[in-house]
Amino acid sequence: METPIGHRLMVWTGVTVLLLWSLVPIYWTVASSLTPTVDFSVRPIHFYPHEITIDHFARLLGFTDETIGGVNTAKQFKLALFNSIVTSLGATVLCVLFSLLGAYAFTRIEFPGRNVIFYAVVGTLAVPGYAVLIPLFRIMVATRQIDAYAGITLIYVSAYLPLCLWLLKGVLDALPRSLEEAARMDGASHMTILREVITPIAAPGLTAAAILTFLGAWGQYLVPLIFSPKLTKPLTVMIPEFAGKNFIDYGLIMASGTITILVPCMLVMFLNKYLITGLLAGSGK
Amino acid sequence: MVGLVFYPLAATFWDSLHRVDPLQPGAPFVGLANYTRIFGDAEAGRAWTNTFKYVVLAVAFETIFGVLAAALINQVKRGRQWVLAAVVLPWALPPVVSAVIWNWIYAPGPGLLNGALMALGLNYDNYVWFNNSTYAMLLITVVHVWRMMPLTIVIVLAAMQSIPAELYEAARMDGASRLNMFSTITLPLTRGAIAVAMTNATVYAFNLFDEAIIMASNTLETRPILIQIYLEAFRKFHFSYGMALSLVLTLIALLISLGYVLRVQKTTRLD
Repeated sequence: METPIGHRLMVWTGVTVLLLWSLVPIYWTVASSLTPTVDFSVRPIHFYPHEITIDHFARLLGFTDETIGGVNTAKQFKLALFNSIVTSLGATVLCVLFSLLGAYAFTRIEFPGRNVIFYAVVGTLAVPGYAVLIPLFRIMVATRQIDAYAGITLIYVSAYLPLCLWLLKGVLDALPRSLEEAARMDGASHMTILREVITPIAAPGLTAAAILTFLGAWGQYLVPLIFSPKLTKPLTVMIPEFAGKNFIDYGLIMASGTITILVPCMLVMFLNKYLITGLLAGSGK
Repeated sequence: MVGLVFYPLAATFWDSLHRVDPLQPGAPFVGLANYTRIFGDAEAGRAWTNTFKYVVLAVAFETIFGVLAAALINQVKRGRQWVLAAVVLPWALPPVVSAVIWNWIYAPGPGLLNGALMALGLNYDNYVWFNNSTYAMLLITVVHVWRMMPLTIVIVLAAMQSIPAELYEAARMDGASRLNMFSTITLPLTRGAIAVAMTNATVYAFNLFDEAIIMASNTLETRPILIQIYLEAFRKFHFSYGMALSLVLTLIALLISLGYVLRVQKTTRLD
């Protein structure tokens, strides 16, 4: 049936508004990161940069040697970028690995208390992070894991493990068993089956779990604010500190913002299908 | 898991019955004193009120506009996955970074918001939005909605896509208008998904922290309860009082979520 032109026009107007709402702030971040600092005082403001500079990025990434208030910005920024990448990637790898092993055990191996343990782990999804923050802080102080990569990474793993386990158990439950049975006939061990048979066909689920964990860990703020105050400080904790000084260097802040959102943007652009599967699995009760 | 979630949870409850304070010796048992203290605490009272305002505003905006946006995207035939990718993007960004971005948009002087208002001929050049606590809370809510609405859209859109097309065909034969179909087919059949989305929205709005602390620091006028807990525990080191507050918050969020689910089950059964 032919859709009336009026209706189509309405839909496209609505979609345009929706796209503007979602994308203008991101456009503005990138545009500002390329604007020379002097142009910020121009009135009325320019809605696009009249002159383009990569000065802010150069300062962040240390092509020019500059210190602000005695602090080497580039060195700090590169360390924070490194910290964000290490903790997020570490948490993603560990979380996906543990939840794959766990999901395999919970779906393929009979052991006493199987369901109880599974629901106990998944039940922690209902526990908000802040409810355990204070005792966690005391544990971390006692085991000297404050400002340590292992401590913060493990906290991320424990935060995203229930979700990943829930997601992957669903995936593994839905897989056909015939291939695995054939492999078992040939005398393959559990680990071989997991590696050679299940991993390739469960890849979309694994990708979804990995994206959710990575994005979650990448965006954490309250947890590293408490647990990573200095050496392991990630980008999310560092960026707001740029604004804490007397002079707010908006160009620098927006350049660091652009670098920080680059990774999530790429993930959404190329792997959105898996991300949405993961989101739906995570929200469904 | 046991070490990092269950033990701390039990410890939270246990310690909330004691006076745990690293600046004072010992941890005497104080019973429910930490809980009764909540009622007399004016600062915490203000933070609770603010949190409830954030929750009501955020859930209302996210649900109304989220359902509309989902219905809209459901009508898009070509390039739907690209529209969806653009819409999901705000959710994927670190909350702190989106707060920093919006802070820059709201900035007096070079900010985009005042710049756009100026371009419309209104004199807002150096207007400072955050001097007014009502505007401040609204603007913080806008940032939160910008970040969390994609979740509502994705959940509701998935439900809309699973409605069989024959239902709409039949309704069209009967001469129903689009608005009719939306209210008699789409809305009732997505009610469950909307409840799930509202539950998520509520829980996330109770957890509002990053946006408020970046945009308005510790200001009491806009302070949500989670910042209050953070200040009590990690600035004043009132660990056990902080734990009592977090447990009450957890309980309230859970009860409200349960409320949605039960309500939906009841109305669906009546249908």
